[in-house]
Amino acid sequence: MIAQPVIAIEGVTVRFGTTDALRDVTLHVKAGEFCALVGPSGSGKSTLMRLVNRLVVPSAGQVRVRGQDVATLPAPALRRSIGYAMQSVGLFPHRTVAENIGTVPRLLGWDAPRIARRVEELLALLRLDPAMGVRLPRALSGGQAQRVGIARALAADPDILLMDEPFGAVDPITRRELRAETRRIHAETGKTILLVTHDPEEALELASHVVVLRDGRIEADGAPADLVAPDAAPFVRELLGGGQPGLRWLSLLPARGALDPRPAPVGAAMLARNASLADALSVLAESGDEALGMEGEKGSVRAEGILGARR
Amino acid sequence: MKRFRRGVPALLLALGLAVLAMPEVAAWLMGGTQGPYPAARLLDLALDHAALSLAGVLPAGLLGLVLGVVVTRPGGRGLRPAADAAAAVAQAVPPIVVVALAVPAFGFGWAPTILALMLYGIMPVLRATVGALEAVPPETRLAAEAVGLSPRQVLQEVELALAWPLVLDGLRVALVLAVATTAVGALAGAATLGTPIVIGLQNQNQVLVLQGAAATAALAFLADALLLMAVPARD
Repeated sequence: MIAQPVIAIEGVTVRFGTTDALRDVTLHVKAGEFCALVGPSGSGKSTLMRLVNRLVVPSAGQVRVRGQDVATLPAPALRRSIGYAMQSVGLFPHRTVAENIGTVPRLLGWDAPRIARRVEELLALLRLDPAMGVRLPRALSGGQAQRVGIARALAADPDILLMDEPFGAVDPITRRELRAETRRIHAETGKTILLVTHDPEEALELASHVVVLRDGRIEADGAPADLVAPDAAPFVRELLGGGQPGLRWLSLLPARGALDPRPAPVGAAMLARNASLADALSVLAESGDEALGMEGEKGSVRAEGILGARR
Repeated sequence: MKRFRRGVPALLLALGLAVLAMPEVAAWLMGGTQGPYPAARLLDLALDHAALSLAGVLPAGLLGLVLGVVVTRPGGRGLRPAADAAAAVAQAVPPIVVVALAVPAFGFGWAPTILALMLYGIMPVLRATVGALEAVPPETRLAAEAVGLSPRQVLQEVELALAWPLVLDGLRVALVLAVATTAVGALAGAATLGTPIVIGLQNQNQVLVLQGAAATAALAFLADALLLMAVPARD
Protein backbone atom coordinates (compact mmCIF):
# COMPACT_ATOMS: atom_id res chain seq x y z
CA MET A 1 0.00 0.00 0.00
CA ILE A 2 1.32 3.44 -0.89
CA ALA A 3 1.01 5.97 1.92
CA GLN A 4 -1.41 8.81 1.14
CA PRO A 5 0.35 12.17 1.02
CA VAL A 6 -0.96 14.30 3.90
CA ILE A 7 -0.93 17.34 1.61
CA ALA A 8 -1.71 16.84 -2.08
CA ILE A 9 -1.84 19.75 -4.49
CA GLU A 10 -3.00 18.50 -7.86
CA GLY A 11 -2.67 20.59 -11.02
CA VAL A 12 -3.49 23.86 -9.23
CA THR A 13 -3.61 27.22 -10.98
CA VAL A 14 -4.21 30.39 -8.96
CA ARG A 15 -5.16 33.52 -10.82
CA PHE A 16 -5.14 36.97 -9.17
CA GLY A 17 -6.84 39.28 -11.64
CA THR A 18 -5.06 38.75 -14.92
CA THR A 19 -1.81 37.33 -13.56
CA ASP A 20 -1.20 33.71 -12.65
CA ALA A 21 0.35 33.39 -9.21
CA LEU A 22 0.64 29.62 -9.72
CA ARG A 23 0.40 27.66 -12.95
CA ASP A 24 -0.54 24.00 -13.00
CA VAL A 25 1.36 23.10 -9.83
CA THR A 26 1.41 19.59 -8.41
CA LEU A 27 3.03 18.85 -5.06
CA HIS A 28 2.76 15.95 -2.63
CA VAL A 29 3.97 16.17 0.96
CA LYS A 30 4.14 12.99 3.01
CA ALA A 31 3.30 12.77 6.69
CA GLY A 32 6.19 13.83 8.92
CA GLU A 33 8.13 15.52 6.12
CA PHE A 34 9.77 18.89 6.65
CA CYS A 35 9.09 20.53 3.31
CA ALA A 36 10.62 23.91 2.43
CA LEU A 37 9.22 26.07 -0.35
CA VAL A 38 11.99 28.28 -1.62
CA GLY A 39 12.22 30.78 -4.44
CA PRO A 40 12.61 34.47 -5.26
CA SER A 41 9.89 36.89 -4.13
CA GLY A 42 6.86 36.72 -6.35
CA SER A 43 7.57 33.10 -7.23
CA GLY A 44 4.30 31.97 -5.63
CA LYS A 45 5.67 30.14 -2.59
CA SER A 46 3.40 31.87 -0.04
CA THR A 47 0.41 31.42 -2.34
CA LEU A 48 1.22 27.72 -2.62
CA MET A 49 1.33 27.37 1.16
CA ARG A 50 -1.91 29.27 1.70
CA LEU A 51 -3.75 26.82 -0.54
CA VAL A 52 -3.35 24.26 2.23
CA ASN A 53 -5.52 26.07 4.79
CA ARG A 54 -7.71 27.67 2.13
CA LEU A 55 -6.52 31.24 2.64
CA VAL A 56 -6.11 31.03 -1.14
CA VAL A 57 -8.65 29.28 -3.33
CA PRO A 58 -7.48 27.61 -6.56
CA SER A 59 -8.86 28.79 -9.89
CA ALA A 60 -8.29 25.30 -11.23
CA GLY A 61 -7.13 22.01 -9.75
CA GLN A 62 -7.65 20.40 -6.37
CA VAL A 63 -6.08 20.62 -2.90
CA ARG A 64 -6.41 17.63 -0.58
CA VAL A 65 -5.40 17.65 3.08
CA ARG A 66 -5.41 14.27 4.85
CA GLY A 67 -7.15 12.87 1.80
CA GLN A 68 -10.03 15.36 1.85
CA ASP A 69 -10.68 18.01 -0.76
CA VAL A 70 -10.35 21.29 1.21
CA ALA A 71 -13.07 22.91 -0.92
CA THR A 72 -15.57 20.59 0.78
CA LEU A 73 -14.47 21.48 4.35
CA PRO A 74 -15.60 24.51 6.36
CA ALA A 75 -12.63 26.92 6.31
CA PRO A 76 -12.54 27.79 10.05
CA ALA A 77 -12.55 24.11 11.09
CA LEU A 78 -9.84 23.28 8.54
CA ARG A 79 -7.68 26.19 9.73
CA ARG A 80 -8.04 25.25 13.40
CA SER A 81 -6.65 21.81 12.53
CA ILE A 82 -3.52 23.30 10.90
CA GLY A 83 -0.93 25.41 12.73
CA TYR A 84 0.01 28.72 11.13
CA ALA A 85 2.99 30.92 11.97
CA MET A 86 3.75 34.01 9.95
CA GLN A 87 6.57 36.45 9.31
CA SER A 88 4.95 39.54 10.81
CA VAL A 89 3.95 37.28 13.73
CA GLY A 90 0.40 38.71 13.71
CA LEU A 91 -0.09 38.42 17.45
CA PHE A 92 -3.34 40.01 18.62
CA PRO A 93 -2.14 43.27 20.19
CA HIS A 94 -5.06 43.52 22.62
CA ARG A 95 -4.58 40.01 24.02
CA THR A 96 -1.94 38.77 26.44
CA VAL A 97 0.70 36.25 25.44
CA ALA A 98 -1.26 33.46 27.15
CA GLU A 99 -4.49 34.48 25.44
CA ASN A 100 -2.71 34.62 22.09
CA ILE A 101 -1.27 31.15 22.54
CA GLY A 102 -4.61 29.82 23.73
CA THR A 103 -6.57 31.15 20.76
CA VAL A 104 -7.17 27.92 18.86
CA PRO A 105 -7.80 25.74 21.94
CA ARG A 106 -10.41 28.31 23.00
CA LEU A 107 -12.01 28.20 19.54
CA LEU A 108 -12.06 24.41 19.85
CA GLY A 109 -13.92 24.71 23.15
CA TRP A 110 -11.26 23.43 25.56
CA ASP A 111 -11.95 24.25 29.21
CA ALA A 112 -9.91 26.95 30.95
CA PRO A 113 -7.67 24.68 33.09
CA ARG A 114 -6.73 22.58 30.06
CA ILE A 115 -5.89 25.72 28.06
CA ALA A 116 -3.80 27.07 30.95
CA ARG A 117 -1.88 23.77 31.18
CA ARG A 118 -1.25 23.75 27.44
CA VAL A 119 -0.06 27.38 27.45
CA GLU A 120 2.39 26.51 30.21
CA GLU A 121 3.69 23.52 28.24
CA LEU A 122 4.18 25.62 25.13
CA LEU A 123 5.98 28.43 26.95
CA ALA A 124 8.35 25.75 28.21
CA LEU A 125 8.69 24.10 24.77
CA LEU A 126 9.63 27.44 23.17
CA ARG A 127 11.91 28.25 26.16
CA LEU A 128 9.92 31.31 27.16
CA ASP A 129 9.67 32.62 30.71
CA PRO A 130 6.41 31.31 32.26
CA ALA A 131 5.85 34.78 33.75
CA MET A 132 5.58 36.14 30.22
CA GLY A 133 2.04 34.84 29.84
CA VAL A 134 0.42 37.94 31.32
CA ARG A 135 2.29 40.41 29.11
CA LEU A 136 0.93 42.11 26.03
CA PRO A 137 2.70 41.51 22.70
CA ARG A 138 4.08 45.05 22.53
CA ALA A 139 6.23 44.30 25.58
CA LEU A 140 8.07 41.49 23.75
CA SER A 141 11.29 41.54 21.73
CA GLY A 142 11.15 40.42 18.09
CA GLY A 143 12.54 36.99 18.88
CA GLN A 144 10.17 36.46 21.81
CA ALA A 145 7.20 37.50 19.67
CA GLN A 146 8.24 34.96 17.02
CA ARG A 147 8.44 32.25 19.65
CA VAL A 148 4.98 33.17 20.90
CA GLY A 149 3.74 33.07 17.29
CA ILE A 150 5.13 29.56 16.87
CA ALA A 151 3.67 28.52 20.24
CA ARG A 152 0.27 29.79 19.09
CA ALA A 153 0.57 27.73 15.91
CA LEU A 154 1.36 24.61 17.94
CA ALA A 155 -1.29 25.17 20.62
CA ALA A 156 -3.92 22.67 19.56
CA ASP A 157 -1.23 20.11 18.63
CA PRO A 158 -1.98 20.13 14.89
CA ASP A 159 -0.39 17.39 12.76
CA ILE A 160 0.40 19.98 10.06
CA LEU A 161 2.30 23.22 10.65
CA LEU A 162 2.52 26.02 8.07
CA MET A 163 5.35 28.52 8.58
CA ASP A 164 5.46 31.58 6.34
CA GLU A 165 8.98 33.03 6.70
CA PRO A 166 8.73 32.74 10.47
CA PHE A 167 12.34 33.83 11.00
CA GLY A 168 12.24 36.74 8.57
CA ALA A 169 12.11 39.69 10.90
CA VAL A 170 14.70 38.81 13.54
CA ASP A 171 18.43 39.29 13.91
CA PRO A 172 20.82 36.56 12.67
CA ILE A 173 21.58 35.13 16.12
CA THR A 174 17.93 34.83 17.11
CA ARG A 175 17.29 33.43 13.68
CA ARG A 176 19.78 30.64 14.18
CA GLU A 177 18.26 29.83 17.57
CA LEU A 178 14.76 29.73 16.14
CA ARG A 179 15.88 27.44 13.32
CA ALA A 180 17.43 25.07 15.82
CA GLU A 181 14.23 25.25 17.87
CA THR A 182 12.17 24.40 14.82
CA ARG A 183 14.39 21.47 13.90
CA ARG A 184 14.13 20.19 17.47
CA ILE A 185 10.34 20.53 17.49
CA HIS A 186 10.10 18.67 14.19
CA ALA A 187 12.32 15.89 15.49
CA GLU A 188 10.39 15.63 18.77
CA THR A 189 6.85 15.85 17.42
CA GLY A 190 7.09 14.36 13.93
CA LYS A 191 4.69 16.95 12.57
CA THR A 192 4.41 17.65 8.86
CA ILE A 193 5.92 21.09 8.39
CA LEU A 194 5.59 23.32 5.35
CA LEU A 195 8.05 26.21 5.51
CA VAL A 196 8.16 29.17 3.15
CA THR A 197 11.54 30.85 2.96
CA HIS A 198 13.56 32.96 0.56
CA ASP A 199 16.77 31.79 2.22
CA PRO A 200 18.16 28.73 0.37
CA GLU A 201 20.54 27.91 3.18
CA GLU A 202 17.66 27.75 5.62
CA ALA A 203 15.74 25.46 3.28
CA LEU A 204 18.68 23.06 2.84
CA GLU A 205 19.55 23.09 6.52
CA LEU A 206 16.08 22.36 7.84
CA ALA A 207 14.12 20.50 5.23
CA SER A 208 13.96 16.86 4.22
CA HIS A 209 12.12 17.88 1.06
CA VAL A 210 12.87 21.08 -0.85
CA VAL A 211 10.61 22.62 -3.49
CA VAL A 212 12.04 25.38 -5.67
CA LEU A 213 9.59 27.79 -7.28
CA ARG A 214 10.02 30.32 -10.05
CA ASP A 215 7.31 32.44 -11.71
CA GLY A 216 4.49 30.33 -10.34
CA ARG A 217 5.94 26.98 -11.38
CA ILE A 218 7.82 24.28 -9.53
CA GLU A 219 11.37 24.15 -10.87
CA ALA A 220 12.55 21.32 -8.70
CA ASP A 221 11.15 19.07 -6.00
CA GLY A 222 13.24 16.56 -4.11
CA ALA A 223 15.73 15.77 -1.34
CA PRO A 224 18.14 18.64 -0.62
CA ALA A 225 21.23 16.73 -1.81
CA ASP A 226 19.59 15.86 -5.14
CA LEU A 227 18.79 19.50 -5.88
CA VAL A 228 22.41 20.69 -5.61
CA ALA A 229 23.88 17.55 -7.20
CA PRO A 230 25.97 18.19 -10.35
CA ASP A 231 23.17 16.93 -12.60
CA ALA A 232 20.49 19.21 -11.13
CA ALA A 233 18.92 22.04 -13.18
CA PRO A 234 21.23 25.09 -13.49
CA PHE A 235 18.72 27.61 -12.03
CA VAL A 236 18.16 25.40 -9.01
CA ARG A 237 21.87 24.76 -8.47
CA GLU A 238 22.57 28.46 -8.74
CA LEU A 239 19.78 29.41 -6.30
CA LEU A 240 20.62 26.74 -3.74
CA GLY A 241 24.35 26.46 -4.29
CA GLY A 242 25.44 29.69 -2.60
CA GLY A 243 28.28 30.12 -5.15
CA GLN A 244 29.86 26.75 -4.26
CA PRO A 245 27.28 24.15 -5.22
CA GLY A 246 29.86 21.37 -5.09
CA LEU A 247 30.75 22.04 -1.45
CA ARG A 248 27.10 22.48 -0.50
CA TRP A 249 26.33 19.18 -2.14
CA LEU A 250 29.06 17.46 -0.13
CA SER A 251 27.68 19.09 3.03
CA LEU A 252 24.37 17.29 2.42
CA LEU A 253 25.87 13.82 1.88
CA PRO A 254 26.82 11.62 4.87
CA ALA A 255 30.49 10.76 5.23
CA ARG A 256 29.48 7.21 6.15
CA GLY A 257 28.47 6.67 2.54
CA ALA A 258 32.11 7.03 1.50
CA LEU A 259 33.52 4.55 4.03
CA ASP A 260 36.43 2.58 2.67
CA PRO A 261 37.13 -0.95 3.99
CA ARG A 262 40.80 -0.11 4.51
CA PRO A 263 41.52 0.80 8.13
CA ALA A 264 42.42 4.33 9.10
CA PRO A 265 46.12 4.96 9.79
CA VAL A 266 47.12 5.07 13.40
CA GLY A 267 46.69 8.52 14.92
CA ALA A 268 44.36 9.73 12.14
CA ALA A 269 41.69 12.29 13.04
CA MET A 270 38.27 10.82 13.87
CA LEU A 271 34.96 11.89 12.36
CA ALA A 272 31.63 11.87 14.17
CA ARG A 273 29.17 9.31 12.82
CA ASN A 274 26.79 11.99 11.55
CA ALA A 275 29.52 14.02 9.80
CA SER A 276 28.97 15.07 6.20
CA LEU A 277 31.41 14.69 3.32
CA ALA A 278 32.06 18.43 3.60
CA ASP A 279 33.01 17.96 7.25
CA ALA A 280 35.37 15.16 6.22
CA LEU A 281 36.94 17.35 3.56
CA SER A 282 37.39 20.15 6.07
CA VAL A 283 39.13 17.87 8.57
CA LEU A 284 41.34 16.42 5.81
CA ALA A 285 42.33 19.92 4.72
CA GLU A 286 43.26 20.85 8.28
CA SER A 287 45.09 17.63 9.19
CA GLY A 288 46.92 17.14 5.90
CA ASP A 289 46.24 13.36 6.26
CA GLU A 290 45.07 11.16 3.45
CA ALA A 291 42.53 9.23 5.45
CA LEU A 292 40.33 9.73 8.51
CA GLY A 293 38.76 7.32 10.93
CA MET A 294 35.14 7.32 11.99
CA GLU A 295 33.79 6.69 15.46
CA GLY A 296 32.47 3.17 15.77
CA GLU A 297 33.59 2.10 12.30
CA LYS A 298 36.54 -0.08 11.26
CA GLY A 299 37.11 1.48 7.83
CA SER A 300 38.35 4.91 6.84
CA VAL A 301 37.19 7.94 4.91
CA ARG A 302 39.65 8.85 2.18
CA ALA A 303 40.15 11.87 -0.04
CA GLU A 304 39.53 9.87 -3.20
CA GLY A 305 36.33 8.50 -1.66
CA ILE A 306 35.05 12.00 -0.87
CA LEU A 307 35.82 13.31 -4.31
CA GLY A 308 34.39 10.14 -5.81
CA ALA A 309 30.90 11.05 -4.62
CA ARG A 310 30.01 11.78 -8.20
CA ARG A 311 30.86 8.20 -9.26
CA MET B 1 -6.82 56.64 36.91
CA LYS B 2 -5.60 58.13 33.66
CA ARG B 3 -8.99 57.87 32.02
CA PHE B 4 -10.67 59.77 34.88
CA ARG B 5 -8.20 62.58 34.62
CA ARG B 6 -9.02 62.97 30.93
CA GLY B 7 -12.58 64.03 31.73
CA VAL B 8 -11.70 66.56 34.42
CA PRO B 9 -11.36 69.73 32.29
CA ALA B 10 -14.73 69.15 30.59
CA LEU B 11 -16.28 68.37 33.95
CA LEU B 12 -15.01 71.63 35.44
CA LEU B 13 -16.33 73.58 32.45
CA ALA B 14 -19.71 71.90 32.82
CA LEU B 15 -19.75 72.88 36.49
CA GLY B 16 -18.88 76.51 35.74
CA LEU B 17 -21.58 76.74 33.09
CA ALA B 18 -24.14 75.15 35.42
CA VAL B 19 -23.38 77.83 38.00
CA LEU B 20 -23.86 80.44 35.30
CA ALA B 21 -27.29 78.97 34.50
CA MET B 22 -28.52 79.31 38.10
CA PRO B 23 -31.32 81.91 38.37
CA GLU B 24 -29.57 84.14 40.92
CA VAL B 25 -26.25 84.18 39.09
CA ALA B 26 -27.76 84.79 35.65
CA ALA B 27 -30.08 87.52 36.94
CA TRP B 28 -27.26 89.26 38.79
CA LEU B 29 -25.01 89.13 35.72
CA MET B 30 -27.58 90.43 33.25
CA GLY B 31 -29.12 92.86 35.71
CA GLY B 32 -32.49 91.97 34.24
CA THR B 33 -35.72 93.31 35.62
CA GLN B 34 -37.84 90.35 34.54
CA GLY B 35 -37.77 87.10 36.55
CA PRO B 36 -35.25 84.35 35.85
CA TYR B 37 -36.17 80.72 35.09
CA PRO B 38 -36.59 78.75 38.34
CA ALA B 39 -33.84 76.25 39.05
CA ALA B 40 -36.18 73.29 39.65
CA ARG B 41 -37.87 73.71 36.27
CA LEU B 42 -34.51 74.16 34.60
CA LEU B 43 -33.46 70.80 36.07
CA ASP B 44 -36.63 69.15 34.71
CA LEU B 45 -35.87 70.58 31.30
CA ALA B 46 -32.29 69.33 31.51
CA LEU B 47 -33.51 65.78 32.16
CA ASP B 48 -35.94 65.98 29.21
CA HIS B 49 -33.16 67.47 27.12
CA ALA B 50 -30.77 64.64 27.98
CA ALA B 51 -33.41 62.00 27.25
CA LEU B 52 -34.25 63.54 23.90
CA SER B 53 -30.56 63.77 22.98
CA LEU B 54 -30.05 60.11 23.79
CA ALA B 55 -33.18 59.14 21.88
CA GLY B 56 -31.66 60.81 18.82
CA VAL B 57 -28.04 59.85 19.19
CA LEU B 58 -28.46 56.17 20.07
CA PRO B 59 -30.15 55.19 16.79
CA ALA B 60 -27.72 57.43 14.94
CA GLY B 61 -24.77 55.74 16.63
CA LEU B 62 -26.16 52.28 15.96
CA LEU B 63 -26.83 53.14 12.32
CA GLY B 64 -23.39 54.71 11.88
CA LEU B 65 -21.73 51.68 13.46
CA VAL B 66 -23.67 49.16 11.36
CA LEU B 67 -23.07 51.16 8.17
CA GLY B 68 -19.38 51.47 9.01
CA VAL B 69 -19.09 47.69 9.47
CA VAL B 70 -21.09 46.95 6.29
CA VAL B 71 -19.03 49.20 4.02
CA THR B 72 -15.76 47.68 5.26
CA ARG B 73 -16.86 44.05 4.56
CA PRO B 74 -15.72 42.53 1.26
CA GLY B 75 -19.33 42.36 0.06
CA GLY B 76 -20.26 45.92 1.06
CA ARG B 77 -17.24 47.83 -0.17
CA GLY B 78 -19.19 49.05 -3.22
CA LEU B 79 -21.63 50.89 -0.94
CA ARG B 80 -18.88 52.98 0.62
CA PRO B 81 -19.10 56.06 -1.68
CA ALA B 82 -22.90 56.14 -1.41
CA ALA B 83 -22.82 55.85 2.38
CA ASP B 84 -20.16 58.55 2.68
CA ALA B 85 -22.12 60.91 0.43
CA ALA B 86 -25.39 60.30 2.24
CA ALA B 87 -23.81 60.89 5.64
CA ALA B 88 -22.13 64.08 4.41
CA VAL B 89 -25.41 65.44 3.00
CA ALA B 90 -27.22 64.55 6.21
CA GLN B 91 -24.71 66.55 8.19
CA ALA B 92 -24.68 69.47 5.75
CA VAL B 93 -28.38 70.17 6.24
CA PRO B 94 -28.80 72.49 9.27
CA PRO B 95 -30.81 70.73 11.99
CA ILE B 96 -33.15 73.70 12.27
CA VAL B 97 -34.19 73.11 8.64
CA VAL B 98 -34.81 69.42 9.31
CA VAL B 99 -36.94 70.29 12.32
CA ALA B 100 -38.90 72.89 10.38
CA LEU B 101 -39.49 70.51 7.47
CA ALA B 102 -40.33 67.57 9.72
CA VAL B 103 -43.05 69.36 11.74
CA PRO B 104 -45.69 69.12 8.99
CA ALA B 105 -44.92 65.41 8.60
CA PHE B 106 -44.56 64.32 12.23
CA GLY B 107 -46.35 67.08 14.11
CA PHE B 108 -44.98 68.95 17.13
CA GLY B 109 -43.05 67.22 19.89
CA TRP B 110 -40.04 64.90 20.00
CA ALA B 111 -40.23 63.26 16.55
CA PRO B 112 -38.87 66.12 14.37
CA THR B 113 -35.96 66.62 16.77
CA ILE B 114 -35.12 62.93 16.91
CA LEU B 115 -35.05 62.87 13.11
CA ALA B 116 -32.71 65.87 12.99
CA LEU B 117 -30.41 64.38 15.65
CA MET B 118 -30.30 61.06 13.85
CA LEU B 119 -29.33 62.61 10.55
CA TYR B 120 -26.79 64.80 12.27
CA GLY B 121 -25.21 62.03 14.34
CA ILE B 122 -24.61 59.35 11.73
CA MET B 123 -21.59 60.87 10.06
CA PRO B 124 -19.22 61.22 13.04
CA VAL B 125 -19.89 57.62 14.06
CA LEU B 126 -19.68 56.28 10.49
CA ARG B 127 -16.41 58.11 9.86
CA ALA B 128 -14.90 56.96 13.14
CA THR B 129 -15.99 53.35 12.61
CA VAL B 130 -14.65 53.13 9.06
CA GLY B 131 -11.39 54.84 10.03
CA ALA B 132 -10.90 52.60 13.05
CA LEU B 133 -11.67 49.38 11.17
CA GLU B 134 -9.31 50.37 8.37
CA ALA B 135 -6.57 51.05 10.93
CA VAL B 136 -6.59 47.40 12.07
CA PRO B 137 -3.25 46.00 10.81
CA PRO B 138 -3.84 43.68 7.84
CA GLU B 139 -1.47 41.07 9.25
CA THR B 140 -3.51 40.91 12.46
CA ARG B 141 -6.64 40.28 10.42
CA LEU B 142 -4.81 37.68 8.29
CA ALA B 143 -3.54 35.92 11.40
CA ALA B 144 -7.04 35.84 12.86
CA GLU B 145 -8.38 34.24 9.70
CA ALA B 146 -5.45 31.86 9.40
CA VAL B 147 -5.81 30.40 12.89
CA GLY B 148 -9.47 29.69 12.21
CA LEU B 149 -11.65 32.54 13.46
CA SER B 150 -14.90 32.74 11.50
CA PRO B 151 -15.60 36.06 9.72
CA ARG B 152 -17.94 36.99 12.54
CA GLN B 153 -15.32 36.18 15.17
CA VAL B 154 -12.71 38.18 13.26
CA LEU B 155 -15.06 41.17 13.36
CA GLN B 156 -16.06 40.84 17.02
CA GLU B 157 -12.92 39.57 18.67
CA VAL B 158 -10.28 41.36 16.65
CA GLU B 159 -11.55 44.19 14.46
CA LEU B 160 -14.16 45.75 16.76
CA ALA B 161 -12.10 44.99 19.85
CA LEU B 162 -9.23 46.99 18.37
CA ALA B 163 -11.46 49.68 16.83
CA TRP B 164 -13.62 50.21 19.90
CA PRO B 165 -11.81 53.19 21.50
CA LEU B 166 -11.92 55.15 18.23
CA VAL B 167 -15.57 54.26 17.64
CA LEU B 168 -16.39 55.54 21.13
CA ASP B 169 -14.55 58.75 20.27
CA GLY B 170 -16.86 59.17 17.29
CA LEU B 171 -19.85 58.43 19.47
CA ARG B 172 -18.69 61.09 21.91
CA VAL B 173 -18.51 63.69 19.15
CA ALA B 174 -21.99 62.68 17.99
CA LEU B 175 -23.37 62.90 21.54
CA VAL B 176 -21.89 66.35 22.20
CA LEU B 177 -23.27 67.59 18.87
CA ALA B 178 -26.64 66.06 19.71
CA VAL B 179 -26.85 67.66 23.16
CA ALA B 180 -26.03 71.06 21.69
CA THR B 181 -28.46 70.59 18.81
CA THR B 182 -31.36 69.34 20.91
CA ALA B 183 -32.01 72.96 22.00
CA VAL B 184 -33.44 73.51 18.51
CA GLY B 185 -36.20 71.05 19.43
CA ALA B 186 -37.84 73.82 21.46
CA LEU B 187 -38.98 75.34 18.17
CA ALA B 188 -40.97 72.18 17.48
CA GLY B 189 -42.54 72.30 20.90
CA ALA B 190 -40.33 69.74 22.66
CA ALA B 191 -39.48 70.64 26.23
CA THR B 192 -35.70 71.14 26.15
CA LEU B 193 -33.16 73.61 27.49
CA GLY B 194 -33.94 75.52 24.29
CA THR B 195 -37.32 76.40 25.76
CA PRO B 196 -36.04 79.23 28.02
CA ILE B 197 -34.03 80.54 25.06
CA VAL B 198 -37.16 80.71 22.87
CA ILE B 199 -39.23 82.31 25.62
CA GLY B 200 -36.43 84.76 26.41
CA LEU B 201 -36.09 85.80 22.77
CA GLN B 202 -39.85 86.29 22.45
CA ASN B 203 -40.05 88.42 25.62
CA GLN B 204 -36.66 90.09 25.24
CA ASN B 205 -35.55 88.56 28.53
CA GLN B 206 -31.77 88.09 28.19
CA VAL B 207 -31.56 86.30 31.54
CA LEU B 208 -33.59 83.38 30.19
CA VAL B 209 -31.47 83.25 27.02
CA LEU B 210 -28.30 83.12 29.08
CA GLN B 211 -29.70 80.45 31.39
CA GLY B 212 -30.81 78.23 28.51
CA ALA B 213 -27.57 78.63 26.61
CA ALA B 214 -25.36 78.05 29.66
CA ALA B 215 -27.38 75.03 30.77
CA THR B 216 -27.25 73.48 27.28
CA ALA B 217 -23.50 73.96 27.11
CA ALA B 218 -23.10 72.57 30.63
CA LEU B 219 -24.99 69.43 29.64
CA ALA B 220 -22.89 69.03 26.47
CA PHE B 221 -19.64 69.26 28.43
CA LEU B 222 -20.99 66.86 31.05
CA ALA B 223 -21.76 64.31 28.30
CA ASP B 224 -18.27 64.82 26.90
CA ALA B 225 -16.68 64.29 30.30
CA LEU B 226 -18.71 61.16 31.03
CA LEU B 227 -17.78 59.50 27.74
CA LEU B 228 -14.14 60.54 28.06
CA MET B 229 -14.08 58.75 31.37
CA ALA B 230 -15.82 55.70 29.93
CA VAL B 231 -13.35 55.23 27.07
CA PRO B 232 -10.12 53.46 27.96
CA ALA B 233 -7.20 55.81 27.45
CA ARG B 234 -5.04 55.06 24.43
CA ASP B 235 -1.32 55.53 24.49
